[in-house]
Amino acid sequence: MTATTPANPANPPVQQNRKTRRFGMVINLDACTGCGACMMSCAVENNCAPAKDKITDRTGITLMRVFPVNDRQPMPARRSGFVPMPCMQCEHPPCESVCPQQAVELDKLSGIVDQMPQRCFGCRYCIAACPYHARYFNWSDPEWPAGMEQTLNPAVAPRMRGVVEKCDFCHGRLHLAEDQAALEGNDDYTYTPACVEACPTQAIVFGDLNDEESEVTRLAKDPNSFRFLAKLGTEPKVYYHSEHEWRRNLAERTANGSTPAAEGRNS
Amino acid sequence: MTGTLAKPNAIESAEKQWIVRGHERCSTGKFMAWLSPWIGLLLLGLYATYLCLRFGLGETHLDNRFGFGLWIFLDLAVIALGAGAFFSGFLLYILKWKEIKAVINSAVVLGFLCYSGAVAVLAVDVGQPLRSWFTFWHPNTHSMLTEVTFCITCYLIVLSIEYLPILLKNRKFKQVPSFLVFEWELHKLMPVFAGIGVFLSFFHQGSLGGLFGVMRGRPFAFREGFSIWPTTFFLFVLSAAAVGPSFIILTTKLVEKITGKRLVKEDIYRTLAKTTGVLLTIYVALKCTDTLMWLNSTSVRAGVAPWEFYEFRPFGHATLFTEVVIFGMIPALLLLSRRLRERPGLITLGAALACLGVVFNRFVMTIQTLALPTLSFDEFMLYLPNWVEYAVFGGVIAYAVIVYSLSYRYLNLFPQEQDLQLNPKEVGNVPVR
Amino acid sequence: MFPFVDGFHWTVGHIVFLTAFGLVAATMAVTMFFVVQRVLDNFRKNRTAAIQWHSDFHDLGEQDRRCRHELTGCAARRECHNSFECGHCADHPRFAQLEPATSAVSLDAFGLDFPSDRLYHRGHTWVRVEEDGTMTIGLDDLGRRLLGTPDRVELPKPGDSLTTNGAAWYAFRNDSPVRVLSPVDGMVIETGGPDQDWYLKVRPTRANPNLAHLLRGAEVSAWLRRELERLQIMVAPAGAGPALADGGSLMEDLPQAQPDANWDAVYGKMFLAP
Repeated sequence: MTATTPANPANPPVQQNRKTRRFGMVINLDACTGCGACMMSCAVENNCAPAKDKITDRTGITLMRVFPVNDRQPMPARRSGFVPMPCMQCEHPPCESVCPQQAVELDKLSGIVDQMPQRCFGCRYCIAACPYHARYFNWSDPEWPAGMEQTLNPAVAPRMRGVVEKCDFCHGRLHLAEDQAALEGNDDYTYTPACVEACPTQAIVFGDLNDEESEVTRLAKDPNSFRFLAKLGTEPKVYYHSEHEWRRNLAERTANGSTPAAEGRNS
Repeated sequence: MTGTLAKPNAIESAEKQWIVRGHERCSTGKFMAWLSPWIGLLLLGLYATYLCLRFGLGETHLDNRFGFGLWIFLDLAVIALGAGAFFSGFLLYILKWKEIKAVINSAVVLGFLCYSGAVAVLAVDVGQPLRSWFTFWHPNTHSMLTEVTFCITCYLIVLSIEYLPILLKNRKFKQVPSFLVFEWELHKLMPVFAGIGVFLSFFHQGSLGGLFGVMRGRPFAFREGFSIWPTTFFLFVLSAAAVGPSFIILTTKLVEKITGKRLVKEDIYRTLAKTTGVLLTIYVALKCTDTLMWLNSTSVRAGVAPWEFYEFRPFGHATLFTEVVIFGMIPALLLLSRRLRERPGLITLGAALACLGVVFNRFVMTIQTLALPTLSFDEFMLYLPNWVEYAVFGGVIAYAVIVYSLSYRYLNLFPQEQDLQLNPKEVGNVPVR
Repeated sequence: MFPFVDGFHWTVGHIVFLTAFGLVAATMAVTMFFVVQRVLDNFRKNRTAAIQWHSDFHDLGEQDRRCRHELTGCAARRECHNSFECGHCADHPRFAQLEPATSAVSLDAFGLDFPSDRLYHRGHTWVRVEEDGTMTIGLDDLGRRLLGTPDRVELPKPGDSLTTNGAAWYAFRNDSPVRVLSPVDGMVIETGGPDQDWYLKVRPTRANPNLAHLLRGAEVSAWLRRELERLQIMVAPAGAGPALADGGSLMEDLPQAQPDANWDAVYGKMFLAP
């Protein structure tokens, strides 16, 4: 990309020495009610086509997905909750290095793991490599019932069949914010992804983890915040927060030396 | 052979003109009868392929948890078995084991079929096959899959070049002077291609192992290693080289069984069996070391309790035992012992177990890796392929059988066949290695 | 990947990767280039006939490539690696000094006529050097009986040139083409045929032609004994003695006597054209 006249809004000038951000999230598991508003708003924002008849929960596209969890205790004593899982936007993404054609890239300016569906040829190696199951494949052609195309978000390109996609922290909204800041001639912007906006209990806090002042940084450093599968060394930028120990124990398979999934096996 | 007195059938006698002079082959009708079920299977596979290409991979039972399924598993298995082509080329052209000549043509054809079949399945397996060339335009040099793509593409070209001289030796083709001279000159430079084939095979067999070994997010597959190569890189190279000769033994014996002819002298079986025996022994030793290191160190650091992987049915401890002992140590022992190698039945058994072992290893690396949960609240999930997946692969098997049958009928795959037909008692004068 | 793709920057990975595959691709391309060059060169130098012979010799079975000195018993086990071109063999002069170890068997036992004034080629032709320096070429007695009465014979025209081990003429019997190999280099000056006892009269290319590759004297019967063994095995692999001979002498027209044998295969082996 080359610099053109600053007056051209379609091609904003590249600014040297731009501030690097590390966008991240803290999701308060205690506040999550499992209502699914984040999933819904995510699908609408990102132009995910309505599921067809044969699509199941294993073949659908849910860039944000709420998993029901429990502590695996026998029933009267069982405690349950929900874990909303977008892409973890890892600092060391296991999906990035495996992609044979550089369709996955960790953006140094935003810290977001970008997926380029237009370059992806659908080998699904990244799906196998991701331990968070945050990647989704378009198993069939996206189709919108007649008239529904009116609801499509013009800031986000729909994906074709046969490519992988994932949460990218609503890059349509990010680009709008970037463009606006560039037009105004400054580098000072932030934005809100759709799921954060939609959450009725405000369980999701979003912001720049590089900004020491931000609420997201403060919450991420809270002793009751954790990240899933931290031992894998992927360094997710999505943190979870809970005052309850059993929820924090969901982070690793071998919390406290036992496997929480012990009863669920042999299925 | 139609007698001079019988009225020769026009098609039959025209078709006979394509068969290598002196080869005894069944009648045209019998050959067509053999081919027809395979053609049927091929057509079914083509229909399933059409479904996938037209309507997308939603036609299969693959899903977001099992992004790799039957196809990737069988691709890995078939490419490992096809290693016989590069390894016998290595033994013949680089190490100059002359007796390998007896099976090299068959091995090259098998290698070509394995690789072209695998590439065909991959073309259906990826979501956007027409974008495959993107890997050459924007290669991510850190990805094992990039290395695999480059190597397999180059190696398929090498295998096609190696197939060419065998094809041009057909009775009709070699009457064309330019074919004859081209074959002659190409054949003389074959060691160059064999050398390139060895280089490429070494790297892509390894990279196929690396494919899984580098998956940091999957503790079941992840391995540490040397520099950029995880241990699975070396284990895959070694296991593929070890079973390559065994696969040649099995296929040759199968062809002998089906055609009711002796095609190679007995001692080539012993040579190949011993090669597998030695390499498999080294492989099993390294595999055991690697498994212990991984279970007790690598995976523990990734947050997995030792042996936890084997607490999910149906992948119990028996899986590991089967892979390492039944399909590893036992065939290694059978093929390593000179006394046991004297018995042809045990050679077949050992070779079959060794081949099953590598197939099972590839199954474990693909399917078990994806089946095991990663997150603490994950459930163990089952995946069963549907008919489309079976049909596509069946189609590729049918393609391989058809092309191999045609090659066997019209080309000289086993140079010793005619000698053995005339002197069935001759067991060969090549010293046993 | 490529410098002209937007956002490209060189890394060590690119250099290693591109170098490795560049070398592989270059080696393959250069090798194929050499192959094509050599093919064109062969056509320019008209070496097709020689290459055909070498290629066919390569395809002959191990049993068909025995050294002539093994047949006479001078060498224990010896496979020919010179395409029966004894003039190029380093060991041939040494072996040629030795007397045949196997006792000569009388060919009369089979009723075969192999006059001693001729030299014999292993593809069942004979050469007789005439006093005027020309050579007469014919099918030997076993070759004649193998073909019996050919359906058709395609002879070269006077003026055509022959190459040693290249095709001299073609005969056809029961749909099987038989390429009869030329025992010498030369130019055809006159043609005979199956009706006469000779096929071609040839003026040799060189004044003193090298005839070291042709069998002579006591060698002939040792060779013929092996040829008859081979024939016996091919015509009746089971080993039950078939009636190749009638009352002690070989049949005049073998295909007629043994119609069930695979004569196409026999011709390939006996006339060295697999």
